[in-house]
Amino acid sequence: MPDIAFVKPALPRNGVLVLPMTEGDPPAGLAQEADGATGGLLVRALEAAGFKGRKGQATTLHALGDWTKVVALGLGKAAELKPEAAEAAGGSLVPAISGDREVTVAADTLDPQLAASLGFGALLRAWRFDRYRTTEKEEDKPKLERLAIANANATAAKTAFGPLRAVADGVFLTRELVSEPPNVLDPAEFAERCRGLERLGVEVEVLGPKEMKRLGFGALLGVAQGSAKEPRMVVMQWKGAPKGKKQKPLALIGKGVTFDTGGISIKPSAGMEDMKWDMAGAGAVVGAMAALAGRKAKADVVGLVGLVENMPSGTAQRPGDVVKTYSGQTVEVINTDAEGRLVLADVMWYCQERFDPRAMVDLATLTGAIIIALGNEHAGLFSNDEELAHRIIAAGVSVGEKCWRMPLGDAYDKQIKSDIADMKNVGGRPGGSITAAQFLQRFTNGKPWAHLDIAGTAWSSKDQPTVPKGATAFGVRLLDRLVAEMAEEG
Amino acid sequence: MLRVQFRRGPPDPALPLLLPVPEGAVLPRGAAEAGFRAAPGEVFEPAAAPRRLLLGLGPAPKRLALEKAGAAAAARFAELPHVALDARGQPAEAAAWIAAGVALGAWRFDRHRTRDVPPALLRLTAFVDDPAAARAVWEVAEAGVRGCLFARDLVAEPANHLTTRSFAKRLEELAEFGIHVDVLGRKRLTRAGFGALLAVGAGSATPPRIAVLRWRGSFDAPPVAFVGKGIVFDTGGISIKPAGGMEAMRADMAGAAACAGAMLSLALRRSPAPAMAVLALAENATGAESYRPGDVLRTLSGRTVEVVDTDAEGRLVLADALHHARGWRPRGMIDLATLTGAIVTALGHCRAGLFGNDAALMSALAAAGEEVGEHLWPMPIGESHRADLHSDIADIRQCVPPARGEGGWQARFIPDACHAAAFLREFAGKHSWAHLDIAGVDTAEEAHALGPAGPTGFGVRLLDALVAARFEEPDHHAAP
Repeated sequence: MPDIAFVKPALPRNGVLVLPMTEGDPPAGLAQEADGATGGLLVRALEAAGFKGRKGQATTLHALGDWTKVVALGLGKAAELKPEAAEAAGGSLVPAISGDREVTVAADTLDPQLAASLGFGALLRAWRFDRYRTTEKEEDKPKLERLAIANANATAAKTAFGPLRAVADGVFLTRELVSEPPNVLDPAEFAERCRGLERLGVEVEVLGPKEMKRLGFGALLGVAQGSAKEPRMVVMQWKGAPKGKKQKPLALIGKGVTFDTGGISIKPSAGMEDMKWDMAGAGAVVGAMAALAGRKAKADVVGLVGLVENMPSGTAQRPGDVVKTYSGQTVEVINTDAEGRLVLADVMWYCQERFDPRAMVDLATLTGAIIIALGNEHAGLFSNDEELAHRIIAAGVSVGEKCWRMPLGDAYDKQIKSDIADMKNVGGRPGGSITAAQFLQRFTNGKPWAHLDIAGTAWSSKDQPTVPKGATAFGVRLLDRLVAEMAEEG
Repeated sequence: MLRVQFRRGPPDPALPLLLPVPEGAVLPRGAAEAGFRAAPGEVFEPAAAPRRLLLGLGPAPKRLALEKAGAAAAARFAELPHVALDARGQPAEAAAWIAAGVALGAWRFDRHRTRDVPPALLRLTAFVDDPAAARAVWEVAEAGVRGCLFARDLVAEPANHLTTRSFAKRLEELAEFGIHVDVLGRKRLTRAGFGALLAVGAGSATPPRIAVLRWRGSFDAPPVAFVGKGIVFDTGGISIKPAGGMEAMRADMAGAAACAGAMLSLALRRSPAPAMAVLALAENATGAESYRPGDVLRTLSGRTVEVVDTDAEGRLVLADALHHARGWRPRGMIDLATLTGAIVTALGHCRAGLFGNDAALMSALAAAGEEVGEHLWPMPIGESHRADLHSDIADIRQCVPPARGEGGWQARFIPDACHAAAFLREFAGKHSWAHLDIAGVDTAEEAHALGPAGPTGFGVRLLDALVAARFEEPDHHAAP
């Protein structure tokens, strides 16, 4: 991971130089200086290479003057330059410089906030998960060690970067959890990693099978019973609201199935390796808690994750089983592969009962149907609260984690009626993501709640500007922003 | 269809009686005890001879609540030939909309039964305070009902009876209502270059057709255009469907039927709005002449399309139909199609998917749908949906092939409804356009609030309400 440093504007004599430039504008500041130093060759060479300054454009010039490499980085139109665009530009820069050790970015004319965003974008993109590579050749490894961002107000840029750095650390924690193989990251190990948040000031409690059995978590334990790995529930509390301004907490809840075989209703084998990331909802909650604590958010937030492994075995739960949830409601298990909602049911009920939160937001890689509905660009958003839904959509837009509202309603709720219990755990193919949300809604006890189905967005099969392919940590930045907007304002 | 009369005075005591009850009204003895709350569509039948039925209307009933009450009555009194409605003391429109509900609920499709045909409700006499006022509302309501039932009849018709030719013929019969009908046959389609439609229809013994229905309206403006998918039977073609449930594919023309029904409604109520419908009729059959996966087609627009799956034929015929409709520079284009299974996975059977490029038109459609009980839900067309349609050989590919083991778990799930909408958008050009994917709502498996199991006529009353709300005044701000 490269260091991101903010420095006073000065043109480096040699090495690698990055020139962020807006569309249609002549070079200014250091870029203008660089052009002068090359006798106008910079501008002419960029023109010849077709560089226009468009968003996402990164044009590399080799051996220009004494610089081994100059990268012109398009920011789009100056009038439309927002933090998101600066982040994306920073991200797009990374592939062009990953083979260089030290790089200077001439962001001297940018607003310090935008300079910070550019660094943030680069940092997010530069993340890699290399823990299990042992034979990679030195020349194949990324070399970038230091990204020095020159800015007229370097101090302000550095200050603006502080909280972004904390959010990036939250994102990285999530990506790491999501990327870890399932033989390493089982529920106990996941809970252990949650304990790591204690050093940031988060209170962490871990409940094991005994405690959950005593409480009556019949649904969560039913899912876990087929696995040799013990389940866990982790409760994390960040108490950041200023004294005298104590508030009902916001609650974040995550599905953490550390591996999902489907259980007795076993999944087809193709692509099953991806089921290691069936804990991405829980991963996002942990990352968001780390981000909030890392930037010392002035809000009270609780995070709860239900951690299980869903395995087929002689002790596994069967289709047809009826389980009693912590709420007292009974569920007929029709399909053991619809296990996420069973885990969430107990955790959600526990959460609302213990914390009486002002709102609950759950994240879960819950259904394949949400990918059929929306694809991979939007997460599905379900909510019983208009204001909460609008805030989530707005937060998502501002951090590039888009959500699309999906419907709820009695007609869908009817689909999960059971002949033997209070409900069944699947409602058939039609509206499959909606009936899953209807199921969860029965465990909100009428409290304001939103559910994000992130099955299509938690993992990316291709690189995006600020997200390398693989674990996206979708939700961390959204939740961080949501807390900022909902609980920290005023 | 049901015969409806409005009369003054007390109801004929010899007739079975419908008694509408707004929520909060004083209930007859026994009703409250039986749990009757007068919610919309709720009924209560006390012991009486002739039979009597209390119809719940809910609080401050509007059109939809009244229609639901009427339809519930029709379901209960389905086999009584003549029924009275006592709407005295109710506003004039109440009687008319309840009658509309009775007519929708009493619809049957018995054409192909030769014996043991159950008796049907044929006649309703409404007793009201002001028959003339009730009749005036009924004229509007009846237009919507007849359009809807016209569509249901078409959708119910089996594919050996409703071929592309006979469908076109049924549409030509709409001329008697003042609708101008022009049917393009194979020669004209070939000359004009309807390459996508011709390919889809190539495997069938009955050739494809484009039917253009036009209603002049009463002012001079570009029309609002409805575009309908009319696949009279969809085998899937060479990408043939599994056998189980294939009989339902006779309803794959429900979009075209809804557009035709809406045109009939507009004509019957003499709507001032200029309107038109372009209906793409074809049978997607398997045959020696069938088009193939891998084929590249030149559409009417000139754009080339790579065929990936011959069972994604609806978007192909619509591509040509949408382009054809653009020739009239419509104020708005709305296409209706039983297009994808994905929309059923997404939204189930109680909402249709709403896509488009014009937020104002989309919200007007959603509002019209709420008014008539045909619910829509907005769905996205994202950048990646369009990008997924990149073709290596043509301008665009028609859909995304299923993953063959690669791409991981997510690749098993394809957002085909969004892909289809992204595809259609390319052929709508810059026109104000919306697309309704009605695959989940065209046919009801069980009796529903406004009718028996079977075709719902979804879209007719919605389009009629949309035109009434949005297109009946000349619009000087219409997009070119």
